[in-house]
Amino acid sequence: METRIQSKAFQELSQAAETLVNPAIQDWKGQGSKVVGYFCSAMPEEVITAAGLLPFRMRATGSTGTDLSDTYFSSINCSFPRHCFNIALQGGFDFLDGVVCMNSCDNVRRIYDNWKRQLPTTLVHIMSLPRKTGEPQVEWFRDEVANLKQLLEKHFDIEITDERLWYAIKLHNETRRLQRKLYDLRKADNPPITGTEALAVTVAGTAMPKERYNQLLRELLNELSESPGNADYRARLLLMGGILDDPAYVKVIESQGGLVVTDSLCFGSRMLWNDIDEGASDPIAALAQYYVADRPSCPRMFGDYERRIGLVRDMIRDFKVDGVILERLAFCDHWGFEQFTIENDLKDDNVPCLIMDREYIMSGVGQLRTRVQAFLETMGR
Amino acid sequence: MVDKGLERTIAERDHFEFLLKFLEESPYETSHLLIPLVKANLDHYKDTVRYIEEGKPIIASYFSNAPEIFTAMDIHWYCPVSAAFAGAGANPYLMNDLEGADKLAVSSDICTLLRMAMYYTEAGLLPRPTAIVGMIIPCDGIVALHEASRRSKEWRGIPMFAPDPPYFTDERSIDYFAQELRRMVDFLTEHTGQKLDIGRLREVVEVTNEQYQLWQEINELRRAVPCPFNWGVGGGPFALTQNRWVGDPRGLEWFKAALADSEKLVKAGKGWLENERIRLLWFDVHPTWFFDLAPWLEEEWKAIIVMDMFSYCPYTLVDTSSEETMFHDLAKRNLMDTTMIRQAVGVADNFASDLVRIVKDYKIDCVVWPAHMGHKDGAASVGIMREICRDLGVPFLSIGIDTFDPRYTTPDEVKNTMSQFFTAMGLG
Repeated sequence: METRIQSKAFQELSQAAETLVNPAIQDWKGQGSKVVGYFCSAMPEEVITAAGLLPFRMRATGSTGTDLSDTYFSSINCSFPRHCFNIALQGGFDFLDGVVCMNSCDNVRRIYDNWKRQLPTTLVHIMSLPRKTGEPQVEWFRDEVANLKQLLEKHFDIEITDERLWYAIKLHNETRRLQRKLYDLRKADNPPITGTEALAVTVAGTAMPKERYNQLLRELLNELSESPGNADYRARLLLMGGILDDPAYVKVIESQGGLVVTDSLCFGSRMLWNDIDEGASDPIAALAQYYVADRPSCPRMFGDYERRIGLVRDMIRDFKVDGVILERLAFCDHWGFEQFTIENDLKDDNVPCLIMDREYIMSGVGQLRTRVQAFLETMGR
Repeated sequence: MVDKGLERTIAERDHFEFLLKFLEESPYETSHLLIPLVKANLDHYKDTVRYIEEGKPIIASYFSNAPEIFTAMDIHWYCPVSAAFAGAGANPYLMNDLEGADKLAVSSDICTLLRMAMYYTEAGLLPRPTAIVGMIIPCDGIVALHEASRRSKEWRGIPMFAPDPPYFTDERSIDYFAQELRRMVDFLTEHTGQKLDIGRLREVVEVTNEQYQLWQEINELRRAVPCPFNWGVGGGPFALTQNRWVGDPRGLEWFKAALADSEKLVKAGKGWLENERIRLLWFDVHPTWFFDLAPWLEEEWKAIIVMDMFSYCPYTLVDTSSEETMFHDLAKRNLMDTTMIRQAVGVADNFASDLVRIVKDYKIDCVVWPAHMGHKDGAASVGIMREICRDLGVPFLSIGIDTFDPRYTTPDEVKNTMSQFFTAMGLG
């Protein structure tokens, strides 16, 4: 990745974002340790960490086509599961020792069914994430988390004690705290890190052991604290939408002078904005509370829009945002309606807004560039 | 100020009045089954108009929210998408509505039914309800629609509750959903003042139980070769058990008449078609432009839709012995049995086992997956369906239509595709 950040820490992090099996995973596997892939940022990955396994957030980095998965999915499906499953069929996820899916959306939930039927992975599990964020839903998900814990214990012949769970929760909370520090730096008039670089950093956090990641992140934060920052931009942008794990997409936006200073993305702020309660009595209940009710939700959660738009408005104020880009993977129903509502609300707030549909892998770069350019011009920038 | 919601409801009522008159004056072979369906709709619209004019509480809701409870609570409800579902045959504004939906800033790759519902809300074409019991099952789009309509300027501030459906169908899930239904009752009482009388719920459920039993018997007869069932009344059971006349003895009469018709044909060794050649499973709901398609299938290809997604719902009868059993079984029925919910919710094993069962039990010659553009979970299951059919030795066709918009893939294009398929598979 082209960057002004020179540190080795950033190089290692960006490499992890740009590849599927990065050196940290290779080292982990080389030690005989196991990796469990998971879909969706609502996955309580702390349970996997507590099991002594490496949680790996599924993505299809490097995918170039869907020739194999087109047998199982259709052209009206979102391209993310199609590319992911294509890589799976090619053997690109053979390094995984298990896969945990979630009923995140209609497209992704069927990966579970197709994976079970087509691939030899011995552990393929699906969790039921509620659609609402109330107490009964937290209680339901507590049982789901407990079931996952039991499943991992049985499958990998290990014991996940409360002590290990608390260790994992604290470790992941530390990750989130460090990531928030990174976001805090972006509030500055001259942010020391671009949106492209920041996304690479957060994506990397889903693909390497947290201990190593936290160490790298601390090094990076130290370096950035002395950086003069980026002053060469036309507008400060908030990027919002569904799955986006490719920093190159952000790079196209930033190449036109729009600096992405914050986001509402599930590979971004939605996975780091707050912490799991370390003072709770039951670690599993604490995980359920966090993943269902406390963390910023995405549009799959019904009845939580006010909190979602509230967070966006807070960010617009705190990060001095000039405009919002809403990106959506084509055929995503959740974001299709959410964009409609958000655009109306932001219009009421006099916040310029650009809606962009996209494919999972980079395409239509010229169109994206032109539309961002026009957007910045309409903002008078 | 003109109440557009009331105006539209009156127009729809008048349309059904016209249809009823037409059917009564021009009787034909299945008029006796269609007339009660039209009457049920007419009653519904008349009640809706009356409730609005009298300022009585009215709720917007859906067929999968245990409508027996609404009946038992004496709450009038309407389904925000029923006009879109009815299609051109019962919605004179269909094309205008589709164009209205197209103009919304909602992506056109989202289910047309849901975009139309959003358009109805935004354009003020639905009666303003006292409260909304939303549906957040079985697809992402319906969840997103409800969240968006909650924020619509037309409906903002209207109390909304939606029972949360778990992804599984085990006892834990059923118990959880039963609790959600109880919370729904509390919500309804709070916002309409109506209370649930358990004795009345038992009466209502006993009627729907009987309806579901008769429905099951009709389905049993549809296994016969030749098939005695007519496409024209295919959606009737669904309409009467879950939408109109829910728990109403008048619905029972319809089922008895439909069953009698089928029995008569089976006993005589006859089918609905004189020379049935293709027994077809239409593995989705009927398109709203079905009236263009089904008669053509019968006439041109002697192909009969032996089973479809509206009809294949092996409903669980509700144990009425106690309040607990009723809530438990209503939860089960609405989580696992209901049309579209059954096939789309949860893991693919659910629909996969149905597919195998139907093909075997109903002696199906070919399976048609229409591939409605809004059914993303189904689109992601097409490989599973194809493999199942291959294993069963039954030809499988995936078309690619919009169930609610004949402009997406026109009826003629569908006919052409199906003709090529029948010919290629040697079915004709």
